[in-house]
Amino acid sequence: MVGGLKRKHSDLEEEEEERWEWSPAGLRSYQQALLRISLDKVQRSLGPRAPSLRRHVLIHNTLQQLQATLPLAPAPALPPEPLFLGEEDFSLSATIGSILRELETSMDESPQNPVAPLSLQNEVPPQPDPVFLEALSSRYLGDSGLDDFFLDIDTSVVEKEPAWAPPEPPHNLFCAPGSWEWNELDHIMEIILGS
Amino acid sequence: MNYPDENTYGNKADIISTVEFNHTGELLATGDKGGRVVIFQREQESKNQIHRRGEYNVYSTFQSHEPEFDYLKSLEIEEKINKIRWLPQQNAAYFLLSTNDKTVKLWKVSERDKRPEGYNLKDEEGRLRDPATITTLRVPVLRPMDLMVEATPRRVFANAHTYHINSISVNSDYETYMSADDLRINLWNFEITNQSFNIVDIKPANMEELTEVITAAEFHPHHCNTFVYSSSKGTIRLCDMRASALCDRHTKFFEEPEDPSNRSFFSEIISSISDVKFSHSGRYIMTRDYLTVKVWDLNMENRPIETYQVHDYLRSKLCSLYENDCIFDKFECVWNGSDSVIMTGSYNNFFRMFDRNTKRDVTLEASRENSKPRAILKPRKVCVGGKRRKDEISVDSLDFSKKILHTAWHPSENIIAVAATNNLYIFQDKVN
Repeated sequence: MVGGLKRKHSDLEEEEEERWEWSPAGLRSYQQALLRISLDKVQRSLGPRAPSLRRHVLIHNTLQQLQATLPLAPAPALPPEPLFLGEEDFSLSATIGSILRELETSMDESPQNPVAPLSLQNEVPPQPDPVFLEALSSRYLGDSGLDDFFLDIDTSVVEKEPAWAPPEPPHNLFCAPGSWEWNELDHIMEIILGS
Repeated sequence: MNYPDENTYGNKADIISTVEFNHTGELLATGDKGGRVVIFQREQESKNQIHRRGEYNVYSTFQSHEPEFDYLKSLEIEEKINKIRWLPQQNAAYFLLSTNDKTVKLWKVSERDKRPEGYNLKDEEGRLRDPATITTLRVPVLRPMDLMVEATPRRVFANAHTYHINSISVNSDYETYMSADDLRINLWNFEITNQSFNIVDIKPANMEELTEVITAAEFHPHHCNTFVYSSSKGTIRLCDMRASALCDRHTKFFEEPEDPSNRSFFSEIISSISDVKFSHSGRYIMTRDYLTVKVWDLNMENRPIETYQVHDYLRSKLCSLYENDCIFDKFECVWNGSDSVIMTGSYNNFFRMFDRNTKRDVTLEASRENSKPRAILKPRKVCVGGKRRKDEISVDSLDFSKKILHTAWHPSENIIAVAATNNLYIFQDKVN
């Protein structure tokens, strides 16, 4: 759970009552929010008890659906790194790792319009999480990709500054290096990718 | 929408995790998160008070399972009782199966109202007597004592499940039973604890290819060779053990085609079946998924014959319910004795009943305020939009921490047991 920047339920609820149109940007932010939520769940399931296999499989299948609807560059053939939780072969978590790698690759490319996927009746996309996007982009993108990436996403509602900071590790925005959130996300990525 | 708040539970160990009447309805067993089993017994109706229905009082309480630690895998094993199933009564004692994630136990519950006294070699406290002091021989006699109900573990069926046990089901031959975990189903003989037969195995060779798990399983009530199991993809398979030893090939496959207009990222999660139950007649099966209850005719595999909406107003809230984990809640469903009414739980301590004949349904609430003795339950209504009437509750006011996952229906009478977190409610039909 990413500290105080986790979305409050009341905010989500208010937005669900508004009407949203499925612009490519809106859809993408929805997908990314779902991705963030799903990763959160995977990380939280690593506890002292054997995680529920049913829950794990359902989250994994949902992630795969998400992956199918996000624009992807041809995935590099990376060997999955098994994540063993005790003796059981929970290496299906490794496919989550490979999904992340593919997403990281896709975010390097200039974004295309996502293929119109499933109809999400009446559901309203939550706002893109600035911490998540910020940390992900800061860690994985080169300087040139940053501006193009953010062009696609309408962050005007959540932006606190008039323009995004120059592409260097942000100092004072939501996720400074060495900050609690930065380390937390790092930690999550390391566990999942087994690095 | 209220965020589930764990602090409202009070003592977490008291959270009821399973409820089950025995075959006569005389006994009602509950299991809880703390590994305890509490058995209630119905009072015999006295001739003097014919209008006062028998009430259920505590009959026996015992600790069935303890928390364990698997040192090999460095994992805790919860003591929470997942399921209780009664065996039919064959003598004065009662037998039930109780299970946690890993181990099934057979318990014998029996009454003792006499005790032997007058041993020759022991004194009344059980200490050995000095043989030199024994000068006469006497026969021990049974003397009455205060009624004591004792529960003893007669069998422990362990080490047969790598994954979490979600179901147990006693076979109609009363000699065998099955236990099902996420990927396998095992058949046991009651007399043999060190061996079980694997009858279903859906574990893929490569776990990365795993996309589906077993969610529930049950034997047919009359045909001892037939059973069903449900999956996280919303399918039900009926298997015949006479066909082969390993029932990997199903005899029947029940699946409803997806409605394309309802498709979302959460379609699969909400189609995951959380409970499957044969009707008493054995002609139908009922399944519960996140939003609906469905009745299937065993002779028709391509779609259910009846579908009931439990709380369809949640369909537009699925993203939030995914975020707060409520979408993974596993609701159970039950038939009444004549298979004419089905019941299942919902949120806000609501539970729903559907009359299959009249097609009428009702929403009731299990709460302290509504449940004073002999109070009549008032139907509740959830307002889904527009103007909310006085008695209605809006979707956003529902308390998602108050979920009714477990209910039970007396085998022949209109008596229901409803578990609301750590409270048990027993409702009876009003006497005319």
